[in-house]
Amino acid sequence: MHIAVCIKQILDPEISPRAFKIDPVRKAADPGTASLVIGPFDLNALEVAIQLKERHGGQVTALTLGSDKAKEALRRALAMGADQAVLIDETQVSAKEPSVTARVLAAAIRKLDPVDLVLTGRQSGEWDFGQVGALLAEELGMPFVPFVPRLDVAGNGLRLEREADGGVVVVEAPRPCVASVTNANDNVPRLPKVKDIMMANRKPITVYGPGELGLGAAEVGDEANRLEVLDLFIPEVKSECEFIEGEDGAEKGANLARKLVERKVI
Amino acid sequence: MNIVVIGWGGDGHAPSAAVRELLGGARRLAQQSGGQVIGAALGGAAKAATGMIEYGADRVLIVDHPALAELDAEAYAAAAHVVCDQAGDALVLVPGDRLGWEVAPRLAHRLAAGLVTDCLAVDWEGGRFVMTKPVYGGKAMAKLAARTATQVALVRARAMEPLEPQTGRAGDVEALNVNLSPGRVKLLERKQEETQGQVRLEDAPVVVSGGRGLGGPEPFRMLEEIAQLVGGAVGASLAAVDAGWISPQHQVGQTGKSVAPDLYIAVGISGASQHVAGMSNSKTIVAINKDPEAPIFRVAHIGVVGDYKEVLPAFVAELRKIKGA
Amino acid sequence: MHETPTREIFWNIRHIWLTYALLVPMVVAFALGVWNHVRRWRAGKPIERTDNWQERLRGFFVDAVGQDQLRSGDQQAGLFHILLSWGFVILFIGTTVVFIQADLRIPIMHGWFYLIFQSLILDVFGLGAIVGLAVALYRRYVAKVPRLTHGLWQDGFLLASMLIILITGFLVEGLRIVATSDPWGSWSPVGLATGRALAALGIREYGTQLAVHRFLWWFHMLVSYVFVGYIPFSKMMHLFTSPASIFTRNLQPKGRLEPLDVENTEVLGVKTLRDFDWKDLLDLDACTECGRCQAVCPAYAVGKPLNPKMLILDMRRQLTEEIGGVPWAKRELEPRPIIGTSIEPETLWSCTTCHACVTACPVEIEHVAKIVDLRRFQVMEEAELPETAQAAVQGIEDRGHPFRGAQASRRDWYADLPYVRELAQVGQAEYLFWVGCAVAFNERAQKIARAMAKIMHTAHLDFAVLGDEETCTGDPARRIGNEYLYEMMARQNIETLNNYGVKKIVTTCPHCFNTIKNEYPDFGGNYKVIHHSQLIRDLLAEGRLPLEPGKLQELEKVTYHDPCYLGRYNDEYDAPRAVVDALGVERVEMARSRQKGFCCGAGGGRYWMDDEPGKRINVERAREVATSGAQAVCTACPFCMLMMEDGLRTVATEQGTTERPVATRDLAELVAEALAEAAGAREGEAGAALGA
Ligand SMILES: Cc1cc2nc3c(=O)[nH]c(=O)nc-3n(C[C@H](O)[C@H](O)[C@H](O)COP(=O)(O)OP(=O)(O)OC[C@H]3O[C@@H](n4cnc5c(N)ncnc54)[C@H](O)[C@@H]3O)c2cc1C
Ligand SMILES: Cc1cc2nc3c(=O)[nH]c(=O)nc-3n(C[C@H](O)[C@H](O)[C@H](O)COP(=O)(O)OP(=O)(O)OC[C@H]3O[C@@H](n4cnc5c(N)ncnc54)[C@H](O)[C@@H]3O)c2cc1C
Ligand code: SF4
Ligand code: SF4
Repeated sequence: MHIAVCIKQILDPEISPRAFKIDPVRKAADPGTASLVIGPFDLNALEVAIQLKERHGGQVTALTLGSDKAKEALRRALAMGADQAVLIDETQVSAKEPSVTARVLAAAIRKLDPVDLVLTGRQSGEWDFGQVGALLAEELGMPFVPFVPRLDVAGNGLRLEREADGGVVVVEAPRPCVASVTNANDNVPRLPKVKDIMMANRKPITVYGPGELGLGAAEVGDEANRLEVLDLFIPEVKSECEFIEGEDGAEKGANLARKLVERKVI
Repeated sequence: MNIVVIGWGGDGHAPSAAVRELLGGARRLAQQSGGQVIGAALGGAAKAATGMIEYGADRVLIVDHPALAELDAEAYAAAAHVVCDQAGDALVLVPGDRLGWEVAPRLAHRLAAGLVTDCLAVDWEGGRFVMTKPVYGGKAMAKLAARTATQVALVRARAMEPLEPQTGRAGDVEALNVNLSPGRVKLLERKQEETQGQVRLEDAPVVVSGGRGLGGPEPFRMLEEIAQLVGGAVGASLAAVDAGWISPQHQVGQTGKSVAPDLYIAVGISGASQHVAGMSNSKTIVAINKDPEAPIFRVAHIGVVGDYKEVLPAFVAELRKIKGA
Repeated sequence: MHETPTREIFWNIRHIWLTYALLVPMVVAFALGVWNHVRRWRAGKPIERTDNWQERLRGFFVDAVGQDQLRSGDQQAGLFHILLSWGFVILFIGTTVVFIQADLRIPIMHGWFYLIFQSLILDVFGLGAIVGLAVALYRRYVAKVPRLTHGLWQDGFLLASMLIILITGFLVEGLRIVATSDPWGSWSPVGLATGRALAALGIREYGTQLAVHRFLWWFHMLVSYVFVGYIPFSKMMHLFTSPASIFTRNLQPKGRLEPLDVENTEVLGVKTLRDFDWKDLLDLDACTECGRCQAVCPAYAVGKPLNPKMLILDMRRQLTEEIGGVPWAKRELEPRPIIGTSIEPETLWSCTTCHACVTACPVEIEHVAKIVDLRRFQVMEEAELPETAQAAVQGIEDRGHPFRGAQASRRDWYADLPYVRELAQVGQAEYLFWVGCAVAFNERAQKIARAMAKIMHTAHLDFAVLGDEETCTGDPARRIGNEYLYEMMARQNIETLNNYGVKKIVTTCPHCFNTIKNEYPDFGGNYKVIHHSQLIRDLLAEGRLPLEPGKLQELEKVTYHDPCYLGRYNDEYDAPRAVVDALGVERVEMARSRQKGFCCGAGGGRYWMDDEPGKRINVERAREVATSGAQAVCTACPFCMLMMEDGLRTVATEQGTTERPVATRDLAELVAEALAEAAGAREGEAGAALGA
């Protein structure tokens, strides 16, 4: 079983709103000193893939489209238990929206050994388009299951849980297919052991440029982008919090009940 | 340019709430941009075709087919594609529910159209459609425009306002005859959402949410008790879900449910932007947190600084007293 | 006949050869027992602990011979231990003298030496030992001192044998004196008194005296032999292991943990007992079970599942199971992981690394290093650690600070202070003000930095900060056990500091202070590191900080809380006190202060780990603060400050109020508040430090 997991290195989503700045020229977040991390759902996807490998054997390949710094993300994936890592160098790629990203990733996945399953996060945690998974499925001509908290092998295919409107449904999909992973309590990413982190530092990382993937300017140039960013701004939030007084927690609790009734919200 | 509203679901004659909202938004946009509002009544929504006219569509194209019986995204994307082909260059509005998140990218790919997901607003500015979506977990807003003639927008629930229905409003209704093949993903089983007789989270007038600060699964019983008392539902932060204290269906936030109840009570939730993204439209927000500097107090209207273990029991007791229960 | 004072050896005793015959099994048992201990220690890894022997010898004399540390912890117990141990040592020398005289045939047992040493001194020390024993028995079985409740059976047996040896010794001596009408009997006052008492009790007949004497003599000798042969198999072995442990003690700075070559080490941290070094294993045997560590451990005090004494003894038991407590034990057992076998993970994670146990231990046992070694294995090899600790470590790795969800940035606190400049702007400055994460990211603690900046500005010091270039020192990661991450952070910071050519570093955080001062040198970072209490003391002494008397009027009394990493780790108890005293407020001391200062509960990564209500160390300390009679508690560590603020809030609730009974102020805040107006107002920043 060969599982490809697409991971994206993103600006730390937990940086405080106050530390968050915008670069008005690039119309993107100003990274400042904020660190880069792997998208939270991509980590869930990695965890799902590694658990699957642990149960059924096989290989996990982590892929990312990113800068040289994204090697750190791949190293973490290797430390968690991925077997191979592929970096698609973004310097020659203008991936400003998901369709280009998906095209590039699909080309890279075609270059790998045949895959049984492609996993992405449900959304990146940065621009949050939440499209790359479905677009990959279209590019690769594979079925797609989104919002998957857990999945397992079933016969020749896969049995997946997916969150749907009105509850969770269980579906069956043939292999190969694409799934986008959402968080659940059994796919919380594992903490890699330091031994594995050190080992990961010694593993090779395959690097592709668009040329090696057979992609030209028409596919990955600026013009290929179907969206443009007109403006990026920080919305204003005004704080108007009224604090409930009280001698202690209990009194505050009772006062809260009275306040809510008085305001007629209960 | 025409505006296509993709519709599914709904209950008989009336289009679903999401479709009503999109129709309202489309109608307003069409007034500025010119062009028709074309409704796509897919699957079960076929029955609501005339209802869609009443809520603002100029023309409705019906695609009904056995493959659309289940919420099969591949089939729905194919059906929507057929309608869009009829509409020419257009802005396509897709409801921002789970099915929409799956259908929209497939549709956009087939139309080679630019797609903006999670739109909070779509405006007509400077001769083109401008879509606003939250990015960076809600810390920023992006205004985007498509470079492609046909463009798709996945619109968040409640982002647009429905119009008052006009009974007897005139408009074409046409059924398209298409052959759809069912998708490759087969439904095996449907696990019902465990609402336990309570109201659905999205519809609840009161939502009582718990976070990592609750420290375990048991305190959620207390939240359930409060929810029951006031006819509300229980929500949770991602951290609580990840800890396994409550099932993911209760997650509120950017990647959970989006709620806008009359009263939202956040207990032991720090107020990360990704959580706030799912509840900031609530009319009254109450935060109970022991850390006076927790960011949740920046969005809360009423704050209680204290340990929930002390605050909540007294709150429930007082509530019972007032309610005479 | 009796011209020179002496006595006849073995006077009433025949078949003396029997004593030699019996000596053989005793010596064999003793030697086997000792050899077995050595065998146990040799299971550990090598470590150099015999260098710098002058210093080692000095410690040996002070702490093993003089038992300085023993006495400093518990005056009363220490004194009686001295009576007991010195009593036996002197009596042992007395026995040796007999041996020299009888077997080596060197006649030394006569004259003044005989009278003063062999008679009087021996008698006095023997009596002292009996008193010591009586007190030891009293404390265990009557007063039931809590720290001594472990191993009462063995203690009882050992104490009783010693008592028997001493008493029979005096009986024998007394009988000899009265039977021989020893003319120098009054030089052995206790013996003489015993003899007279026996006579008074009816043993007056010469023949009876001889018979009883002979019987008791043999009895005394047998019990002594058995006792000596049993020493290596009992806790009396500490007679040898304690001095050995003291001699081979760690001479490095107390605040320094041994670095680990993460890249080239087989097992990271300690998994089995064999991963410890021999000194660690010697420690296990050296423990005297005195319980001093237990008595001072804050985790134990609030009911957490950690008792430093049992930590040592549980590992000792495992060592015995695996390697054998007796030399003829079956071959060694497969080494088992310590965590899960003799120590539970919760125990490991309860430690605040406050160093109270190590400081209190009279025999230089190093609990903290062992705990960190065990944590290292759990974290680096097993990735098993409390989720909350993991989040903190992850934060350091991902964002360079452990405060998950922090809303501030490192530059927030000085956004409106024009005189705080960044090294990146000014290139260099005499002092680098190392702010630390706790201060930078917590709104309450930021006031410490503002106060300190105001002080340095007032004193016209040339200082700058690193701003966003600062990252966590790595201390929490190291104490939690992630040495790998620590080393990464340390190297990164050292590179930044060295690039700017930083020479002097001032910090308000004792954790940063300790690690930069004592641990960064291992990674090539050598700076003069100054804690702000020291800098302020010096500035005050030089008259560079104009204080306005009476500005702190509402604070009549202030109590000072010793941060572990400043006090016990770096022996700085006086500088902060000198500063408090200079402020014109009355300083009151809490019962647990200086070396015995009670931890706030934050160290060792505990700040980030969850505490069960009712088992919070900071609340325990806050209660002590609340009863100190002070209006404010002065801290010199941001963690202590935050812990005290929190603990005092709980105390307020306990007392049924919302107002904290005592205010919490960092030393710098107090000083900034007391600065004369004109000085403070230089650039408008007056009193802003004390908004809280
Ligand atoms: C002006 C501008 C400039 C930009 N410049 C760049 C840039 O230089 N480089 C860049 O990478 N992005 C850049 N972006 C962001 C880029 O548009 C999107 O991040 C990208 O198209 C994917 O969209 P998303 O992040 O919303 O992913 P989603 O659709 O939300 O992603 C879903 C999942 O797809 C996978 N995935 C997404 N992106 C990647 C990836 N790059 N590699 C591997 N897996 C992935 C992950 O599993 C993720 O969880 C830029 C955006 C703008 C607006
Ligand atoms: C792409 C992305 C998507 C995300 N989507 C979501 C989402 O949909 N929904 C969501 O919730 N999160 C989401 N998150 C995660 C989000 O960033 C936060 O990590 C998460 O919301 C934190 O949950 P919390 O507030 O429960 O926990 P914490 O941030 O740990 O806060 C716990 C709070 O409890 C308080 N507390 C502790 N003990 C007590 C007590 N005894 N009494 C009272 N208060 C107490 C503490 O002071 C603290 O403020 C997302 C993150 C990313 C990156
Ligand atoms: S360091 Fe402190 S908390 Fe840890 S065992 Fe020793 S006394 Fe207890
Ligand atoms: S470790 Fe030290 S202080 Fe603790 S019981 Fe043993 S000898 Fe006493």
